[in-house]
Amino acid sequence: MTHESIKTRVVAVDIQIDTTTLAVIDVRGNILQTEQFATGTDPNIGDFSSILSERVMTLVEGNGGYESIRSLGICCPSSNFMTGCIENAPNLPWKGVVPLAAMIRDRLGLAVALGNNAHARGLGELAFGVAHGMKNFVLLTLGGGVGSSIFIDGQFYSGTDGFAGEIGHSCAKHNGRQCGCGNKGCLEMYCSKKGILLTAQEVMEERTEPSKMRLTEALTPELIVTFCEMGDELAIETMYRTGEMLGIGLANYATIINPEAFIFTGSVSHAGDWLLDPAWDSFNAHVFHNIKSKVKFLPSQFEEREANLLGASVLAWNVKEYSLFK
Amino acid sequence: MEEEVKSKVIGVDISIERTTFAIVDIRGHILAEDSFVTSDYLDANEYVTALSEKLYMLMEANGGYEKIRSIGISAPSVSSVTGSITNAANLQWKGEIPLAALVRDRMGMAVAVGNDAHVSALGEYAYGSAHGLKDFMIVSLGVGVGSCFFTQGREHTGTDGFAGEFGHCCVVDDGRECGCGNKGCIESYVGANGIVRTAKDLMLESDEPSLMRDIEKLTPKVIFECCEKGDAMAIETYRRTGKVLGLGLANYASLINPQAIILTGGISHAGKFLMEPCREAFEKHVFPNMRGKVKIVISRMDNRERDVLGAATLAWEVPEYSLFK
Repeated sequence: MTHESIKTRVVAVDIQIDTTTLAVIDVRGNILQTEQFATGTDPNIGDFSSILSERVMTLVEGNGGYESIRSLGICCPSSNFMTGCIENAPNLPWKGVVPLAAMIRDRLGLAVALGNNAHARGLGELAFGVAHGMKNFVLLTLGGGVGSSIFIDGQFYSGTDGFAGEIGHSCAKHNGRQCGCGNKGCLEMYCSKKGILLTAQEVMEERTEPSKMRLTEALTPELIVTFCEMGDELAIETMYRTGEMLGIGLANYATIINPEAFIFTGSVSHAGDWLLDPAWDSFNAHVFHNIKSKVKFLPSQFEEREANLLGASVLAWNVKEYSLFK
Repeated sequence: MEEEVKSKVIGVDISIERTTFAIVDIRGHILAEDSFVTSDYLDANEYVTALSEKLYMLMEANGGYEKIRSIGISAPSVSSVTGSITNAANLQWKGEIPLAALVRDRMGMAVAVGNDAHVSALGEYAYGSAHGLKDFMIVSLGVGVGSCFFTQGREHTGTDGFAGEFGHCCVVDDGRECGCGNKGCIESYVGANGIVRTAKDLMLESDEPSLMRDIEKLTPKVIFECCEKGDAMAIETYRRTGKVLGLGLANYASLINPQAIILTGGISHAGKFLMEPCREAFEKHVFPNMRGKVKIVISRMDNRERDVLGAATLAWEVPEYSLFK
């Protein structure tokens, strides 16, 4: 009689614009070993896949061996879980539709699942974070872009083509700011990092008061939050306007989905109450009256990379095991 | 003893003006139907009593009470999670009305209650254009603007049963006052009263002649007839309406990524005057990867029939219950 061995580890990969991180993670979400390399700007996805595959092999050989790994999960912006492809990513070097999951599977001989940041983080929060035990919730990513994932009855909802949850590209202002996606007035152009900086610019042009923002050459959302804490009026106004737009966007979202909670992730969400207080007020002023004050606003407790890696590990557990050698 | 399987249910559609109820068999045939005026009853208890009596009479005249398995009810502002009408913007009964419990206690059989938009979607899914679709949105355009969406072949009700309140999404910040208490809701632009208001706004904006100026009581239907006669201002009214609708639907679709959007209700029959600007605005505002992929279709079912059939479908979903067992 042969003993069936059950594999208790997966590899999680987090591909972001600057850095790619990989980790071996066990069934309880313990991150056993991580490694990083620069994502680079090489437009050839074949080269990137080869480098990634080599790194994965080196990592797993040093941590229990290839045979101990069940599957691989990848978290990457603009990815489509249904097709396993990166599709028309505005911020990555690889253009068009890139079948990354298939490429890595063929190189490593392991099952590969690919999901975008919002999808992966949603799974991570559901398995190990603040969404644990929730049935219906929406996870938001507020950073360089604005994205979201929807969970219905405890399951990720992908939509017909895998694009559900594109809140960042819903129209928040008719004929508003030009967005990278080609449309105008997208929520992303008001509530992402670049959106906040544009708003700061607007506030400085409209008002005449002195502000620390005026004296800063390379302004960032983090600095604006620091200035808010120092009592800088214009910085506070900038975050207030951002929160107000976010509140309307989320109110319309909740009016359609009726979730238990919104979970905030991403660097912009670290602005804390400077952003979330005005967002909460604006949310309740605009949401369908019967669900007013019923939807929770919950900031994630994870550090970003950790959230992505844990999410990618859950993605890995969600695909069927596969091996070239069986 | 042989257990008798009941093969009929009751479907009830409570609309703002009329209440329609019918006996429906397992294949969706309407066997008998009747209706009365909803607004005659200012008190919810009196209404439920009258409804129960009429249901009982219809049952007795058509095979008897014992043949009916259960009752499904479609009503505005209802949560299927609680079975109550909650703070209805357009009905005469205010606050919380536990409709399912009231009717069940009077009739002694299982009662399922669904939001009118959800029930419409069920009817469309069981017997109409949504048959066989997995992910779709249905949007009802009438006095109110409601919606429901299906994910993976099941309706999404949300945590409290209020999902899909598309009509109360904000489309103009600080815009027109809406019956729900908020400002700038889609309903206040695309609902029947919203369209009339747009027409009136247009008439005030300029001195241009229009057929609409000679009409005492404007309705979306009358405005549509003016469009057909080539009246520029009436056409502009529907163009503005279509633009707002298209923008709203685009934002909705960007979240849900549906295969199709099905439009129902009286205003969906405004044809190209509404649909051309609506499609244009939709394609302009929707998330680019979905552009050209989402079908927007007008339901082919008769509104009342769909809602009664949807309510009947709902009735089959509740476990059977009887006071006498």
